[in-house]
Amino acid sequence: MGEPFEPRIVAFLCNWCSYTGADNAGIARMKSPPEVLPIRVMCSGRVSPEMILRCFRAGADGVLVLGCHIGDCHYISGNHRTAKRIPLVQRLLSYVGINPERLRLDWVSSAEAPKFVQITNEFVQTIRSLGPIRQELGLPRMGGGR
Amino acid sequence: MKENELVEILRGCAARKLPELDGLLGILRTTEGAAPYVFHHCEELAGLVLSPRYPLGGIVRVLQARYPKARLGVVVRACDLRGLVELAKRGQVAPDRLYLLAVACTPEEAQHCRCQRPVPNPTGWPQVEVLGSPAAAAEAHPLLVQNERLGLAERWAFWRQEFAKCIKCYGCRNICPECFCQACALEDPLWVERGILAPPFPTFHLVRAMHMASRCVGCRQCELSCPAHIPLTVLYELLRRDVAEMFGYQAGEDLSAQPPLSLSLTEETTPLPNP
Repeated sequence: MGEPFEPRIVAFLCNWCSYTGADNAGIARMKSPPEVLPIRVMCSGRVSPEMILRCFRAGADGVLVLGCHIGDCHYISGNHRTAKRIPLVQRLLSYVGINPERLRLDWVSSAEAPKFVQITNEFVQTIRSLGPIRQELGLPRMGGGR
Repeated sequence: MKENELVEILRGCAARKLPELDGLLGILRTTEGAAPYVFHHCEELAGLVLSPRYPLGGIVRVLQARYPKARLGVVVRACDLRGLVELAKRGQVAPDRLYLLAVACTPEEAQHCRCQRPVPNPTGWPQVEVLGSPAAAAEAHPLLVQNERLGLAERWAFWRQEFAKCIKCYGCRNICPECFCQACALEDPLWVERGILAPPFPTFHLVRAMHMASRCVGCRQCELSCPAHIPLTVLYELLRRDVAEMFGYQAGEDLSAQPPLSLSLTEETTPLPNP
């Protein structure tokens, strides 16, 4: 205790929209929060519940899933699956007592660099106010990468 | 209706139907005990019983894969029927080669399983005969209401203690009529820690619960076979309600309704027969 809380946040970014959006934010030299660890996936539909749960298990304080807007998916309907699946994962988390706000789904197109910055900043704020997941769930400390 | 009367009616139906079939899958009682058995001859039917219950869906799947042309009869309960409906939607069993003798559970059985849907509802199944008189649905699990009332921290305290009892016997998965994947995520060290009992984060149970969403037919076999008595079906039932609320989908009710999580937003999950 006593250490300042530095949230660890995993962001799954879809290759075609959100990753490009994040990239463009960097190119335009917009400041996005360093607490967010981006992971590029080919489609937000690739993000399985297993992947999200593994992030939490490995000590992520929050998981962000960003994909193309509905209708703009490179694979036509990959993000439709995401739109159906993530709310269910959120409900499951809440049923066992994990704050569902630790998982957020949103849509960011490649042209929406400012929106990427805004969402990541908002999410970091949310997670800061929720505090460390280890403390909330009473999990032991462990090294990264598990 | 009493169970012994029901067994007599069942044996009568089975004897009438058996000559048209290549075999009838049911439970055979012998002096050594009872086990799933494929009946071929009418004389054997004296050993056909209704209890103990055993989920036959997985056996049907294996039999159909091995004998792709056989016309098989199966003695099922309401939950077995729902399980077969979900398996058929996922291409695991072929309904047109299955003749079902669906037996309605007695009120005592429905109570024992806390069954919400003890009456077979053969919507869309091509060949099925329903036997027995309908019993009323049992009361829902008290933990369902309790979980709603608890705050997040209390829920975590409760479930953490329940999941800590898990001995990783995989019995819940092995008995589940809906678990058929050859490569199981629960055995993959990428997703589930192996060799650690009571891991700090309950990945095993949460992954399994997600896989049960839109698939669990509420047979409660996992919970009844759990040596640690973890109330698994409470989680699955909560998710089942969510799937019904969000997508209007009831697992196992309608053979023509497609599982919503594998459909896009524009494809229709056909509406519920009984909303």
